[in-house]
Amino acid sequence: MIAKTTHIENTRNLLEILPTVDIGEPEDIFIALENARCAKADLTIKEGDHVKMYQVIGMRHGPFFDQPIHSTVSGTFLGFEKHLHRSGKMVNFIHIKNDFKEEEDETVVHERTPEEIAKLTREDFMQIAKECASVGLGGSSFPTYIKFDTKGREIKTILINGVECEPYITADKRMMLEKPEEVIEGIKLLQQAFGTKDARLCIKSKYKDIIAIYDEFLRAMPDSGIKVCPVGNFYPQGWEIAMIKSATGIEVASGHLPSEYGIVDFNVSTVVGLLQNVKYNKPVIERFVSVTGDAIKCPSNFSIRVGTPMKYILEKCGGYVHPERKKVFILGGPMMGASIPSDDCICTKTVTSIIVLDHDESKEENCIRCGSCVLSCPVHLRPVQIMNAVKAMDKDTIKLLEPLKCIECGLCTYSCTSKIQVTDYVRRAKLLAKL
Amino acid sequence: MSEEPNFSPNYRGMLMDNQTITIIKESAPHVRRKDNLVGMLLDVVIALLPVVVFSFIAWPLGATKNVLISVAVMELAELIFVLVTHPMPVDLQKHSLVERFKYGIASYRMSNFLAALVSALIFAMILPASTSWYALMIGAAAGITFGKLLFGGNGNNLFNPAAVGMVFAKVCFGGTMYYTAPFAGVTEVAVSPTYLAGGDYGILDLFIGNVPGTLGETCKIAILLGLAYLLIKRVADWKVVVAYIGTFAILTLAGGLTVTLPRGGNIPSYGEWVLSHLLAGGFLFGAVYMVTDPVTMPITTPSRVLYGMSAAIAAFFIRHFAALPEGVGYGILIANCLAPLFDYPKWSSEVWKKKDIILCIAIPVAALAIVIWTVFAGGFAL
Repeated sequence: MIAKTTHIENTRNLLEILPTVDIGEPEDIFIALENARCAKADLTIKEGDHVKMYQVIGMRHGPFFDQPIHSTVSGTFLGFEKHLHRSGKMVNFIHIKNDFKEEEDETVVHERTPEEIAKLTREDFMQIAKECASVGLGGSSFPTYIKFDTKGREIKTILINGVECEPYITADKRMMLEKPEEVIEGIKLLQQAFGTKDARLCIKSKYKDIIAIYDEFLRAMPDSGIKVCPVGNFYPQGWEIAMIKSATGIEVASGHLPSEYGIVDFNVSTVVGLLQNVKYNKPVIERFVSVTGDAIKCPSNFSIRVGTPMKYILEKCGGYVHPERKKVFILGGPMMGASIPSDDCICTKTVTSIIVLDHDESKEENCIRCGSCVLSCPVHLRPVQIMNAVKAMDKDTIKLLEPLKCIECGLCTYSCTSKIQVTDYVRRAKLLAKL
Repeated sequence: MSEEPNFSPNYRGMLMDNQTITIIKESAPHVRRKDNLVGMLLDVVIALLPVVVFSFIAWPLGATKNVLISVAVMELAELIFVLVTHPMPVDLQKHSLVERFKYGIASYRMSNFLAALVSALIFAMILPASTSWYALMIGAAAGITFGKLLFGGNGNNLFNPAAVGMVFAKVCFGGTMYYTAPFAGVTEVAVSPTYLAGGDYGILDLFIGNVPGTLGETCKIAILLGLAYLLIKRVADWKVVVAYIGTFAILTLAGGLTVTLPRGGNIPSYGEWVLSHLLAGGFLFGAVYMVTDPVTMPITTPSRVLYGMSAAIAAFFIRHFAALPEGVGYGILIANCLAPLFDYPKWSSEVWKKKDIILCIAIPVAALAIVIWTVFAGGFAL
């Protein structure tokens, strides 16, 4: 088929109407010592120490920032265990035995009164986000406080990304449906931080129910400046640059930051997390996760404590369907998510969904140059030519084809008639182009 | 402590310990579009069915001979190619011929069979019923070998294998071929396909296929059915078809205008004139089944439009100004040659740039100028 792909088939869209359930607390909680962005970490507690909820138990050191590690339960620190991290690496995890007492650490948690909040400046927000280790909860795990530092540029528009364009995932959708007050309150904080009134909440236009809810809420506050902005239903609409184009009409050139155009964007879960950070000084310890896929017995939307082991979650879902078939275990969406070689991994702060699919056994055929990948590419690259250049190790041609523009959305592989892993070739071209 | 979540009973059905599963690591994305290559090739075969069925009804003997011989030869060539390109790895043991065959045949796929079948069916349809069996065999073998297999098989070919085979057969054995009208029985009509001159046959005759011609090209109803199927299934890129037919129609119209207006020629009506040229010969068959072959066309949209235009221009020039009566096959082969040029990474782009728009206007305008000048000054009759 020679056709442009704009829509990814979703076989599990019933999940959209399932309410989020609290999965409960497991007995053992594992907190990553290192993560994808921070390679080193120090710990301030010893084995056998009692830790409280929200307590700062250590510090991760990234290339240009430090990130405190918070305990997500109260209990006893038992030592380290190696588990798989979302990034696919074996990483040391801090093992905490849950005592189910939920003691909060008073030195961290303190409620701010509305008057106090009204006085906060952008620098204060930055400080709070830094202390609470707030990161992009849409999956990027990009430190939020850096977004507050606009390097003197004036921000005119705040965009809230509630698009969630990947199929199967419904965590953000449920978040917007179930916590509209918190979303709006969070947006108001951002308006205060950036000193602008223009805030737009981007939602897929097919989600009529969410749009109706927010319209209803916003009617009560006519001068809040918050607008609901219905955007396209296509994939990859949730990509920052596609969303900015749909919501504001501004085209951000590749290699430039949205803040250069007076735009800043946040994921909707990050906004809700930020509200908690600011209001109670509580770091994010719980998040919404969709557990789904063809191979999961009972797909569900869960509210999960950060650090919960995957086995606990899968048990609550009833395990796998067809255990005899080969499976693919994905953290994140099916298009861009990371495939994990084992289900012995931990749900961290940035896991938006857990998807288990039956392994696709279809074989690769020769490329017949149908051009579907060229038609589908959202950044107008020519994946076939990049693939051929990689096969020929032709570095000059690779550089000419600008593979560094690629956002790895995966549409070229998805739409390939011959079932070739085109995206892999483009990834390799990106490495070769950097040489 | 938070409340125990209220799960339905089947949420705690199976325990994880009872299950051992295999998890495979693969790179993203993890989902694929439903369509595949075999389905796409099957769609082309289905689209060819109306034409093939018509040819079997119109020339039972000729069609059977053409289809059987070309399918047999091309499938055999493809099979040998697969066996040759997948030799057993060299080791110290001795392997019997059967073992070697079994090793090679494991790489033979459904797509190999179908791709050769499509080429063979098209090849059978673009030759007349009178083609001798040896012309068919040699043409089919040459077409698939020089057109496809020497380039590396499926997906690597530069030229349309059916067109190469047809040209080979016509160049070598053209003298023995003659064209008969469908249902004409054994009456042998003259050697030269003079029907291309137009006017000898009415539009309706051309449309329903009551004209002498090759097996597949006469009945336009069957071809249009195939086109509809290809476009609905999105196996053919409509932009190429539109560019091809559109350019040819414009050039024909310009030629007609030059003949009547400045030179005082005699043409019944412009609509009929253009339509009879579009329906005559193998033009429509080529537009539906041969220009749309994705392997031999460029990959970006502007290049595909240019490709369709160049194929049409080449076909028009050969048809009207060359010694050959029919130029569709040659035109497609010439455009095939140009496809890598249109695809050159430095020039091509998926977004329409100024340069693409200029080219897409300049090339047909240049062709138009040459047509008008040739017809007006050169006195070609068209």
